This record gives sequence, C-alpha cells and structure tokens, in this order.
Amino acid sequence: MHLPWRWLLTITCAVSCSQAQANGWNMPVGVTDLSRDIYNLHMTIFWICVVIGLIVFGAMFYSLYRYRHAKGAKPANFHENTTVEVLWTAIPILILIGMAVPATATLKKMYDTSDADLDVMIIGQQWRWRYEYLGEDVAFNSNMSTPWEQIHGEEEHGEHYLLDVDEPLVLPINRKVRFLMTADDVIHSWWVPELAVKQDTIPGFINENWVKINEPGIYRGQCAELCGVNHGFMPVVVHAMEEEEFDSWLAERKEAQEQEAMGVDREWELDDLMARGESVYRAICSSCHQSEGQGALPAFPALANNQPMIDDFDWHLDVVINGVSGAAMPAFRSTLNPVELAAVVTYTRNAWGNDTGDVVQPALVAEKIAQ
Amino acid sequence: MWSVVKSVLAALIGVQSNVKRQQDFSSGKPLIFIVTAIVITLVFVLILVGVALVAAR
Repeated sequence: MHLPWRWLLTITCAVSCSQAQANGWNMPVGVTDLSRDIYNLHMTIFWICVVIGLIVFGAMFYSLYRYRHAKGAKPANFHENTTVEVLWTAIPILILIGMAVPATATLKKMYDTSDADLDVMIIGQQWRWRYEYLGEDVAFNSNMSTPWEQIHGEEEHGEHYLLDVDEPLVLPINRKVRFLMTADDVIHSWWVPELAVKQDTIPGFINENWVKINEPGIYRGQCAELCGVNHGFMPVVVHAMEEEEFDSWLAERKEAQEQEAMGVDREWELDDLMARGESVYRAICSSCHQSEGQGALPAFPALANNQPMIDDFDWHLDVVINGVSGAAMPAFRSTLNPVELAAVVTYTRNAWGNDTGDVVQPALVAEKIAQ
Repeated sequence: MWSVVKSVLAALIGVQSNVKRQQDFSSGKPLIFIVTAIVITLVFVLILVGVALVAAR
C-alpha cells in the first residue's frame, strides 16, 4: 500500500523541480563555467537540505503519529544520553564542513580576477550604467530605452519592457573579462543572473568581478540595490559576441569616438545640435526634467520657460557641466562629452518655446571643462 | 590532566554528562580549567588559521 505513495511523491518532486527550472523559480544555470559551478553548488546544498528536512520532519511526524497519546503511549523521562548528544552535535559539524569545502572552492574561483584579457569599468549612476573599456579609449552610457509612454500605461508594453537599453555592454566570448565596479552617487548593484554576477557598486570603492562567457547571446539584468526613484529604470543588457565580431565592434567604436572628439573643433549648425541634443535629452535628462521639460517639483525644476536659466547662459552651462551641490542635479562633465553637452544645452535653450536662438559650440564647452 | 582536557573539549561542543560535571565541580580548581580552556581555544584558532592558509593556496 505504501508503494504508490512513494511513487507519487517521487513524480511530484520530479515534475515540480523541472517546472521550477522552466518557470524561472530556480536560479539559472547561466552561460559561464563559473555560473554552472555556482548553480551546481546551489543544487548540492539544496538537496542536502531536502534530505535533512525529510529525515528530521519524517522522524518527527512518524513519532507523533506512531506514539500518539490516544494509543496509550507513555513519555520517556530519562535525563541525558551523552552518546546521542555527541552524535547530534558531530553529524551537523561534519555536514557543515562537507558543505564548506565545495563552497570555498567556488568562492575562490569567483574572487580570482587575475590574468584578465579585458578590463571594463562599470559605473553606476542615477539612473544608468556607464561602461569604460580601460586602455581602449572606448566609453559610453547605457540608458534604459523603454519609452515613458509604456511606463505610464499609454502604450502596450514592449517585448523587453524595462529590460532594454540604447547601448548594451558588448563583451567577447571565451575571453576573461574583469569588471572594476564603482558608482558616482549612491550604491547601485550590477546584476546579470545568466552571468552569475551580482556586485554592489559603491561610491569611493572599486569592487572586482569577472566573467568568461561561453555562448554568444543577449543577457539581461537589473540594478539590484534600491538607488532612488528610478531604480527600476536602469537595466543591464550584455551583448556577448564571437571574438572577431567583438574586435571589429571595438575598432568601429574607437573610430566613432575619435570622430566625435574631432567634432569638438568644428563649427556646428543649430539644427545638428538640436537633433543631437534631443536624443541626449531623452536618454539622460527626461527621467527627471520630464519629456517636455515640464519638470517634477519639488525635486526637479521645469526647464521650459525657466526664466533664470534662459537669462543666464553661463550659469545654465555651469549647472550642466558641474552639477548643483546638495541637489539632485549631478555633474555631467565626465558622463557626457563636449559635443553632447553643447547639444543638450543648445536643445534646452531652444526647445519648448524657450527660443533663445543660442548656439552652444562644443569647443566652448571643452574650454569650460578644462578650466 | 587528561580528564580536564576532556571536560574542556566537552564544553567546546556543549555536551557533558551529569556525572562528569559533578566530578569536575567537586574536585579540581577553577584556574586549571580556565587556563586549559584558553590554551585549547588558541590551538583551535591556530587550526582554523592553518586550514584557511591551506585553502587559500
């Protein structure tokens, strides 16, 4: 009679376990050797806990049922049993040591950031990620690209709602990439489950982590440390490429960035700056100052018809470059390049009826930054 | 001396029989238990340091 029960239990367990994997209840196996190690460690410890649970609760429920009062069971009243006490102390010690050995081995691998082929600095900012490929002169911001209309419920949610960015972090497969992680303002946490990386980024500290991705693909994650009002709107997207593809991407990126640097010295037209400025504004500024520059008081002032800003050009430029100490406005001198800064200041001085006609040249901004 | 070490080791894992406890309280001075306990704790710490050094290699 007890056989069907056991079978039922086994089947239920097997089904629920595979279901857990399929539904994403369990952690993902991931796409790096280390993420597999971590997954296996997690499952090993999970099954140890399951077995302990079954034994302990099994013994408990069996005793409750078998020796119940209704059947006339009499309680034992001996005081001590040193052998049993030593056993139930020693067995957990052995189990804990047995779990500590594989756990320590995995931890050691996680902390071994030596011999990296590529160094990437990851900087958390309110509310975006900035990636700098160290020694390669390539750096960019990665902003969420989910439109605000979707967030405000005016449009249908897209496929990767809140998990899409304008520029993903591009990484090569089969190479060891070391992450150096910090933040500009408050504590953020860079988390990509498929890569088994979840690391706090802390202002004034540099944390290290690393990945060596096995399979090309797009891996998504989120900020995992509450960092302010738009904490939910700074996703992480990693695009892992074949090595040759990555090398050509990096070369292309480098050239584009050199082109951009050369753009500082040339004279820009109002229309070009406005077009560029609008995209910078949407990506960087609109999360606080809102899409039409209407602001969100009390923290985020309106930019449309902001008379002090319109009247005082130098002050406006200074606020964008150096931020406002003690307020939510950060300094953008290292987040945006001179062309982007000039474009966005030009845009905000001419959009939404501000119509000052001012054209801010990138060369002037570069000069201000250098001061 | 061996019985003192055994008592201290028993205290370390928190298991001791009542008979032994009565024995310890009736004979022997507290100081010898305290000194033995400090020495054994130091040895325990050194063992942990040794294990950590081996594991870190």
